[in-house]
Parts: sequence; structure tokens; C-alpha cells
Amino acid sequence: MTDLLQTHLETMLGAGAVFRDGQREAIEAVVQDGSRTLIVQRTGWGKSLVYWIATRVRRDAGHGPTIIVSPLLALMRNQIQMAARLGLRAVTLNSANRDDWAAIEADLAADRVDVLFVSAQRFANEDFTSRLLPTIAGSIGMFVVDEAHCISDWGHEFVPDYRRIGRLLPALGPVVPVVGTTATANDRVVADVAAQLGRDVRVVRGPLARASLHLDAIPLADQAERLAWLAEHIPSMPGSGIVYCLTVADTERVAAWLQANEINAVAYNADVDAGVREGLEQDLLANRLKVLVATIALGMGFDKPDLGFVIHFQRPGSPIGYYQQVGRAGRGVADAYGVLLTGREDDEIAEYFIATAFPPTARMQEVLGALDGVATATIRDILEHVNLPRGQVEKALKLLEVDGAVGHERGHFFRTPMHWAPDEAWIAGVLDARRQELASMRQYVDTSDCRMAFLARLLDDPAAQECGHCANDGGKVWPRDVDHDLVLAAIRFLRGDIRLILSRKQHADGKRLGFINGEGHALSVYNDAGWGRRVHEGKYRTGRFDDEVVAAAVALITGRWQPSPAPTWVTAILSTAHGSLVGDAAQRIAAQLGLPYVECLTASLGHASQKDMANSWQQEANARRKLGIAGDLVLPGPVLLVDDIVDSKWTLTVAGELLRAHGSGPVHPFAFAVASARGA
Amino acid sequence: MMDAMDAMDAIGPMSDDARAILLLCTSVAAGRGDDARPLGPAGWAKVAAQVARAGLAPGSLLGLDEAALAQLLGDAVPSAEAAVRQLARTGQLAIELDRLAMRGISAVTLADDAYPWRLRDRLGPKAPPVLFTAGERSLLNAGGVAIVGSRDIDAAGESFAADVASSAARAGRAVVSGGARGVDQTAMRAALAAGGTVLGLLPEGIERRIREPETREALTDGLALLASPYNPGAGFTAGAAMGRNKLIYALADVAVIVASAARTGGTWSGAEEALKAAWVPVFVRQADDAPEGNRLLLRMGAHPLNAPEAPDPATVTPSRQAAEPAAPFVQATLGLDDNA
Repeated sequence: MTDLLQTHLETMLGAGAVFRDGQREAIEAVVQDGSRTLIVQRTGWGKSLVYWIATRVRRDAGHGPTIIVSPLLALMRNQIQMAARLGLRAVTLNSANRDDWAAIEADLAADRVDVLFVSAQRFANEDFTSRLLPTIAGSIGMFVVDEAHCISDWGHEFVPDYRRIGRLLPALGPVVPVVGTTATANDRVVADVAAQLGRDVRVVRGPLARASLHLDAIPLADQAERLAWLAEHIPSMPGSGIVYCLTVADTERVAAWLQANEINAVAYNADVDAGVREGLEQDLLANRLKVLVATIALGMGFDKPDLGFVIHFQRPGSPIGYYQQVGRAGRGVADAYGVLLTGREDDEIAEYFIATAFPPTARMQEVLGALDGVATATIRDILEHVNLPRGQVEKALKLLEVDGAVGHERGHFFRTPMHWAPDEAWIAGVLDARRQELASMRQYVDTSDCRMAFLARLLDDPAAQECGHCANDGGKVWPRDVDHDLVLAAIRFLRGDIRLILSRKQHADGKRLGFINGEGHALSVYNDAGWGRRVHEGKYRTGRFDDEVVAAAVALITGRWQPSPAPTWVTAILSTAHGSLVGDAAQRIAAQLGLPYVECLTASLGHASQKDMANSWQQEANARRKLGIAGDLVLPGPVLLVDDIVDSKWTLTVAGELLRAHGSGPVHPFAFAVASARGA
Repeated sequence: MMDAMDAMDAIGPMSDDARAILLLCTSVAAGRGDDARPLGPAGWAKVAAQVARAGLAPGSLLGLDEAALAQLLGDAVPSAEAAVRQLARTGQLAIELDRLAMRGISAVTLADDAYPWRLRDRLGPKAPPVLFTAGERSLLNAGGVAIVGSRDIDAAGESFAADVASSAARAGRAVVSGGARGVDQTAMRAALAAGGTVLGLLPEGIERRIREPETREALTDGLALLASPYNPGAGFTAGAAMGRNKLIYALADVAVIVASAARTGGTWSGAEEALKAAWVPVFVRQADDAPEGNRLLLRMGAHPLNAPEAPDPATVTPSRQAAEPAAPFVQATLGLDDNA
């Protein structure tokens, strides 16, 4: 067999190729019937080579195709080519290539597929389990779980669907070999994953440190300083790279800022269409981009050996996650840089992610309650009964589904006969692990020890040692000072980062609204380093939006916006909880625009605050309960409708509808800020 | 969290013996268009006997190649080649069982300790190799009062069935029924209404039935168990309904026939089989307005039941000895009798 493995290796990589440390050992462990192997090796070590060669050996022995559970969006072309060199045919199934499923089905039935790549989420999909899997003519020859740390509750990423994968592993039977691979796992995670793989697990573990990677960590005051830092230093970074952000909004913002500074940058996040994302990955691979500004949506499986740098715009929540992201740099080049920027909003964002990691138990029960007594229900039906954001309802349903309390088929959810009770201790344990990881990251920022050694020790790497080339260890130290003019430019940029308020067109139940507002504008993102902080201060500290903020609003309205048809009067939604804040500001805007200001809308006291309403059903209903209008005061012309902070847009929508119904002209909504952003 | 994992743990980790039985005797892991027929009780009994003769356990069938399997099983399987193919699908089996577990459905096989001893002992080689269940698993071994009768039933029969069921419930005894329209559902509803528990043996797969809110709530509350020897997704067939009749009798401690047509229909043939096999004492409603079938069954040796109360099996002597002697676990599993 030894010679055979060498032959396969040379077929893939050319004559004279040699196995890296541990690769041969891993392949030999993997190919035996019923073996259980966990491979813990740094990214770029060559894990895929292990499962390609192992699949070749298994297929030649007459076994069925290998199933690889992987978070890959699309198979990388070079991976398919590598497989093809061994005569292996690899296909991927995902929601983006549904058109190909019929052909893949036929190929599976005819045993023409050697490797099937699927995401863990596929296993929750009836089409996959009941339609596609049964077409596999023979056995499942081997089962591979890429990024196997996801099956551990203690991994940095909790992906509910991986709970199911963890459950499957011991059940696969005595013949099917199971392989888990991960680049990033501390002792606790390794032990947990190994336990889930079954008995007699062989762990193949190598050192995590990468010699070419130069690490640094730089605390800076705020977003403006960090933007300035990026603009100043990215041009001098080698090759192309990635800037990681914690939120979708930040990726867009940072990309726009870099573009404004003539750096070839594009935002990459889960809101970007899958096809476009694949194109962006290709652009980065081919160095057609200097930098991709990404959330963790650009994640596992992305392999660019010559990636020159990875910069974090905010501090990530865990050492495992950080190592994994920064470890994308320098796989195949002599020098690459990993710089972590951090600032004061990082803790806030991290705490927010922890706080929203699980929907509260009471809300889970409410979601379940909405399914009691009915055969099936849609998300819409559930939202009508539960005051939770749609995203949280979806998360609750996913958790309940993985727990076996809820099932779904084609958009219809139903209760299973399984009793469900929350496991508070388990949730507390997971959250506690997250907080510890967060604390570790704070230590990483503060440490004066060798950064690579510190990180490797956080990951329990037995081979952790001083790297000799990080910023704390004699290597390159990036400047801590930022260019003052660039900071001012960044503040101007943030202040000019106007947000559109796209009008709602439908009621919460999907029926078309009688009146639709014009496209509105917001001056800032709440509490950001542009106008957002001043809006926050006005609302919660001084009780008044200062003159500069109002002047900026007027400049926006008369400059970049110029609503059409031009408003002939101004009104405001009077915030009951914040006195005359909005009325006062709207009056000053009206005065500067030379238009009459009319107070005709009232938000009555004694109702729940709109910001406590969590989804469209609740928000629309609450806005309708709350808002009143003095119809005889409404003027006939187009109107500028002023509010302080816009979130769901239901208050603006319902107010606009009331104004139109009482004879006003078209409604142009304006808000001082949009509520702050969400992640991933 | 009580979840699918716990549901599977409740049965214990799946043994290779159970895997082999599920792969050979059901089509849950079958490939699309694969024409290998699952083995029925008799087919499995033959395979089990061969395996036992070789001093092996069923799990050792996993991983055998065609020649080895053919040598071991001889003509106990229709095709060794097909059997190897079926047995290779442990991966698909795991995935499908997990899918079912997430729906609240689990499988219990002859190789599991949780398999109901009444079926094992009373039916012997006719015991279904696999039962799919949802709900309170302990009810599989609860015994209780079987209440059977035709789908179309008159008012007198309906109230008799309901009264017997509630009297069973009040006495803390489970009601066993077929889960069909008519007598079955009347009895189940009455038992639940009286605070009792029910065990329903379905003539079809259980996957659809457990979606009905009323059924689902009884299952979630731990007051009911649905079981079926058929694939969870299987539809109703008359043959399947006949096939599961024996399970209703054999899982109970005593049976009550509320109404039966004479010499025709599922209730009649089930009753006839139960009287002949004498798994449990069989009572038949005796009343002037009872159907002709009831009178005939009484003449054939059934015990008369005049008042609508759950009868006590201890008050009667079985008309015949049990057809099969109670066999120890392993032998029953393997389908052996004492002389093998």
C-alpha cells in the first residue's frame, strides 16, 4: 500500500513529490473499514490531499462514493482539478445549483460520482435526504466532516445543523470510515469532537504556527482612526488580502471608504448573491482585487496560497476564529501580515453576538406554542403570534428542528410529538465558553509576548514556540499613529455615509399598502463615528439635536437628496418618550428650508415603545395603535416627514399613510439615524 | 434538551444486530429503484436461524462479501447479491433513521431489549422484525385491553366501546387498538378522555398520522404510543391492516370485540386468528342488537361480555394453551425453537 500511496501522490503532484509530515499516516489510518480519524492540522497542510487519495483507494476497493460535509459554497476549480488527476469525479450540491440536481441524481444512480460535497444544512432538507441520497446505488464509502470543530458545542461557531452531523457519526455503522478535519481546535474541542466520532479515534495532530505569518495587534480609538489606518497602510501590504469586519454594514462601509481612497476593494457578505460571491472569490484568487472586505461569510475552505495579508477591522470573538481567519494568509508565500485592529465598539458588538446567540427560552416556548393545535404553520403565521424578530424566529425554529421538536417541509413548519424542554445548563455552558474566548482575545491584544506563541498556546498547540518575527518578537511593527488628515477625511466620509430609507410596499401580511412613501434618507448610522454619536448624545444626553447636526440634515436635503416633488411643508412624528426632541429639530429644519412646520401627528402615550416590537406583524399593529392624526391640520402639498431614529420603518410607513389619507401630497421620510447594524 | 439524541439514547446506541435487521427487513435505507424486497417475519426467521446455526449474531452479516454471505445463508435469502447490497447501506440507514428521529419516530427491532416481549413470546417466528414507533415507548410493554371492531359501527356499539375504554383507563390499564376509524378511534378517545393511556397499532406507516394535532398532543404528553410494522411513509393497504391485527391482540392482556361482521372483513379474520392462537382471552360483546359475527364468535369459544367494562383476564382460563412456548431472548431473536 505504501508504494501505491506514493504513486497516487505523484499522479497528483508530479514525480518526486513527497508527503508532508503526517499525511501518509493520516491516509493509512483513514482507508481502513470503520476507522475513525480526526486530523488537526493548520490550513494549507494538505487535508484535501488526504481525502482525495483515501477516496481513490476506497473506490478501487469497490466501495461507494465519499460524502464530504463542508461549508464550502462552491467547489474550487483547483480542487476539482486535483481530484480529476486521480480520475475522481467530485460534485457539489447546493441551493445555487439546483438545476444540476437531476443530472447529479442520474450520475449518482449510475455510480459515476466519487465525491459528493454537501453542506451540513443539506441534511435538514427533505429533497436531499429523501430524493437524492437514495439514488446512491451502493454504499456510502467514506464520510468526511470538514471543519469538524463545528460539531463541538465548545467550538467558536455554533452551527445548529452540525449537532445533527455529530449525532450521525456514531450511527454510520461499523464499516464506513469517518474522517474529521479541522485547522483549529483547542484540547477541549479536540476531545469533544473525538468523542463524537466514536471509539478508538486516531488523532493526527500537527503544529499550528505558520512561519511566514507576521502578527501585530493595534488598538485605535474609533472607526475613523481605523479607516484612516487602512487607507494608509493597505497600499504597502504585499499582494492582495482580506479585511474582516464583524458586521455586514461595516463591510460595505469599509469597502466604500477604500474605494474612495483608490484601493481596489469590494464588500463580501451573506447579503451578496451567491453567484456574485463566487465571482469575487475568483477575482481575489486571480489578484484582480487588492482586498476583499468580508464578514465570516468568506470563510472555511477559501484557499489562496499567496494571500499577502489579513487585517481585522474589529477584534473577533475567539482565538480559534481569529487563528482560522488570519491563517488564510501566507500559506504559500515567504512573508504575509496579520494585523488586528481594535477599538471601543468591539466589546459592544461582541456582547451583542453573545446576547443574541440563543433566543430566550420563553420565546422558544412561544414559537412552539404557535405550532400547538395546528397541523402546520408558515413563518408568517408564527410571526403574527410571537413578538420576535424574523431572524430570531428562524433561529428558534432551527434550534427546535435540530432538537427534533419541530419539522418542516416546503416552508410549512409543524410540531413533532417530541417533548421539548430547554437545556439551560447547556446554553449557559456554551455562553460561558464564548465569554472565556472573548477574554482570551482581549489578552491577545494586550500581550507583550510573542503573538504566534501566545495564539498557539491559547489553542493548546503542544508545539507552540516563539516565532521570532511577530511585532512583539523582533518582527515588523506597524505604525500606531494615524495620519490626522486621513482621520478627518474618514470622519467626513462617515458623515457623508447617507443611508437610504427604502419605502415599505406591503402590509405585514403581504398585501399591498394603500399609500407608499417616497424613498427617504437618514443622516447617519446610530452611534457611529460620523453623525451617529451626536444623534445619540442629542437623544439621550442633551435632549436636543445640535446645530451642526441640523445643518447637516438641511445640507443633505437641499444637496444630495433634493426630494421631488419638492416638499411644501414639514411635519414630524412626535416622540412621546423624548419630549420635544424631534419637533424642535423638525421646526429648525423647516425654518432653514423656509417651509411651514405643522404638528399634526401624535404618538399617544401608554403604548409599548416601537423599538420593543420585534417583527413586522407586531410593529405594524403597534404603529397603528399608537399613531393619531389631526386631519384638519394636514396641508395639501408634498411633505417632509421627520423622525429621529428609523428601524422597522413601520412608524414612518403608517404615518405616511395617515398623511396621504388626510389629503397631503407625496411623503418624503427623513430620519437622523438608522438603528445600528447586524452581523454576518 | 429532550431531543432526537435522547430519543435514540432511550433505546440505547444502535447495535450492529439491529442495523442488519433494519437493512434486510425494511426499505428505509433502500436505494431508489432497488428491487430487493425486504424480508418479512418468516424470511427473517430463516436468516436468523442460519446465522445462529453458525454460532454468529446478525450483526456479523455486515461487511460480508457475496461469497461469504451466500455460504452462510444458503437459500435463506432470495439473492445473496441483493442482500450484500442492502447490508452495505449502513450510511444511508443512519441518515434516514436520524431524519425519522427528528420527526419523533424510532425503530425497535427483535435485537433490542425494548422489543415487546409479548410479541416475541406469543408470535415467535411471526413476530415482525421491526416496529416503528412514536410516543411513550414504555407502553409497548404495558399490556392492557385490546378493543376491536368494525369501522362502521352503530350507536350502541360505539357507546359500548367508549365505556369499556374508559373503564380500562380508570383501572389504570392501557387500551390497545388499531387506530382506524370507528371502534378504534372511539376507544382511544374515550381512554384519553378518562385520563388513560393508549397504544395504537396502525395499518399504515406512522409518519402522516403523528402530524394530526390531536394525536400529536397525546403523544407529546406521554399518554400514547403509535406503532407500525410498516415503513413510516407507507400508505394504507387492506393486506397491511390484516397483517397488523395479530399485533393488537398479542400486545394486550385481554381483548374485547365490540362488533364483527360474520365470516367477512378484517375484524372477523383477526378475531378468528386470535381465537385459534389463544394469545390472550378474547371477549365478545353479547347483546340482542349485536351483529351476527358476535354470535358466531361466541359459539367458537369467545367469552361473553354483557356489561361495558374492561374484563379481567385473571377471571378466565384460556381456552387453549399458548401456541408458542415462551422462549428466552436470544432464541426468540434468532427464530429458533427449543429443539434446534
